[in-house]
Amino acid sequence: MGRAAGRSESRASNGVMHVSTAWWRPLALGLAAAAFCADAAFAETAALAERIRSCTACHGEDGNSSTPNIPSLAGQPEFFVMNQLFLMREGVRRIEVMMPLVKDLKDEELTGLAKHFARLEAKPSGEAIDPALAQRGADLANLGRCGSCHLPNLSGQEQMPRLAKQRVDYMIRALKEFRDDKRSGADTQMTAVVIGLRDPDLAALAHYAASRE
Amino acid sequence: MTKSIATRSALGAASATAILAIGLTAALAQAPPGFSPIDRSNPAASGQDANMRPHPTPPTPTPLEQIPVGKLKLPAGFKAEVWSHGHPGARTMVRGDKGTIFMGTRVIGRVYAITEKDGKREAKVLLQGLTQPNGLAFKDGALYVFAINKVLRYDNIESKLDNPGEPVELTEKFNLPDTVHHNWKYVAFGPDGKLYVQVGSNCNICEVNPGTHGQIRRYNADGSGMEIVARGIRNTVGFDWHPVTKELWFTDNGRDWAGNDGPQDELNRIPKGQEGANFGFPYCHANGIADPDIKRPNPCAGVILPAALTGPHSAGLGVKFYTGSMFPKSYQNVGFIARRGSWNREKKFGYDVVMFKAQGGKATLSPFMTGLLDEGRNEFYGRPVYLLQMPDGAMLVSDEQNGAIYRISYGASGGPQRVSRQ
Repeated sequence: MGRAAGRSESRASNGVMHVSTAWWRPLALGLAAAAFCADAAFAETAALAERIRSCTACHGEDGNSSTPNIPSLAGQPEFFVMNQLFLMREGVRRIEVMMPLVKDLKDEELTGLAKHFARLEAKPSGEAIDPALAQRGADLANLGRCGSCHLPNLSGQEQMPRLAKQRVDYMIRALKEFRDDKRSGADTQMTAVVIGLRDPDLAALAHYAASRE
Repeated sequence: MTKSIATRSALGAASATAILAIGLTAALAQAPPGFSPIDRSNPAASGQDANMRPHPTPPTPTPLEQIPVGKLKLPAGFKAEVWSHGHPGARTMVRGDKGTIFMGTRVIGRVYAITEKDGKREAKVLLQGLTQPNGLAFKDGALYVFAINKVLRYDNIESKLDNPGEPVELTEKFNLPDTVHHNWKYVAFGPDGKLYVQVGSNCNICEVNPGTHGQIRRYNADGSGMEIVARGIRNTVGFDWHPVTKELWFTDNGRDWAGNDGPQDELNRIPKGQEGANFGFPYCHANGIADPDIKRPNPCAGVILPAALTGPHSAGLGVKFYTGSMFPKSYQNVGFIARRGSWNREKKFGYDVVMFKAQGGKATLSPFMTGLLDEGRNEFYGRPVYLLQMPDGAMLVSDEQNGAIYRISYGASGGPQRVSRQ
């Protein structure tokens, strides 16, 4: 792309300038502009690809994490990912390991990353799902109205993450943080929903959520 | 103040044991009596669309040309303009002695300082990374910042807006409950010089300890001398004092998942001499409606019923009594309420500013600023949250959804439009 831009510029300055008929000028300008835009888009894509690589080292090549306690990002709602990255960059959601990765990201890059992960297909983590726990989790999820925000199939929407096919170990950890008021930068609604639940209840919720399609 | 933690964990354990012992659905119906923060709403009973959820607040600002100021409708003679913009999550506003507008937010965790320079407004991020710093107050040159579970005081703040430095930490002194839900703060200094502080009920509907939650408290400015001035409140997010009677008027947001039409939100008044009174939550709502999920005999006995109902799920936030000289005389001492607008209602409601005239203990609402709700399409364009009267008598209204402030002025005294375009 960079070379193409160079070619069109050199073509425009390669003696053709002396042709007095001006018909080609808008065309040449158009070509140059198109080449410039393509170049910028390429640079953007290349930078984004680089950013994505820094995510996938932990969150999985295809956005599905096989690392314990690290969440999958594949199939997450676009606004959710953008919003969480924004809050991490802002220092509201404080995750030490994420700080160096997000601190210099521009808003457009947050959106680019969010679009990328939203497009990927969520896949089960391969962790064992206990059917009895999942059944108990389904009852708890009904009482807690999980589906009203996260949608009945728990695929998430807007600021609410996808829970279906998310890692069980990550969700147990996150639910404990919500319950114990340890989760920074989140809507307090989640704390209100899981307050008073015991660890086995949280595990049941996680097994149920992960098992949803 | 008694520590709430011991009570909470003991009762939480008791509830959890009950859940295990007798099964989930039965547990809610037969939960042991006493205070428990577990939500007691019955998902099957409300008959509402089960997929309603809170609307997202964008962390990024709305570009100036997309701010819906053109949609605003006001009574004849009033006009609205964009006064400042580019500060996402715009909520609470207080004014410093030197004219700085300090603005609090929720999830984005910022406090902004908006200053005027060469006729243009500049908004800068003064503080960031806080947990929902919605509670702001200004007194004697100091900015008080109440985030969830954090109280900070920045002395002499207007002379160090570029580098506010380390604050005086008052968290321990105020000793507020450690729970997070419904505990983004609203605070204000009263005519008695005391600092009034909201403490919400940390649930949608549950039995909270009235000694620790569901209150308005007042303190000396240093956090000493705590008194409970109102109890039985679900979550007030705004209050003001009547300019003549000096009584405190406050909004209270009603519970969710009990139907589209209510129980309605409330505008309440603490009658003189009745500080510490009970306003009914969780047993008695609105104009005396018994809660469908948490029942007890005579639920409204001894409860002060609202001065006005403010609409179903309308989310009344900021309250301000008008005392300026710009609006017509008939607006003197009239109250205004910013209604952020509903989420737990199939047909959206609110998204406006209403006004009320206080007569005795009652008030009647009428529209003031509308136009941000398209009822036909069931869509909203903005969310008015707080109000601030300026020295010239104009009224500022913050719009959380668009990260903007509107200036409402009347007549020729409106002044030139001075919006800085970026």
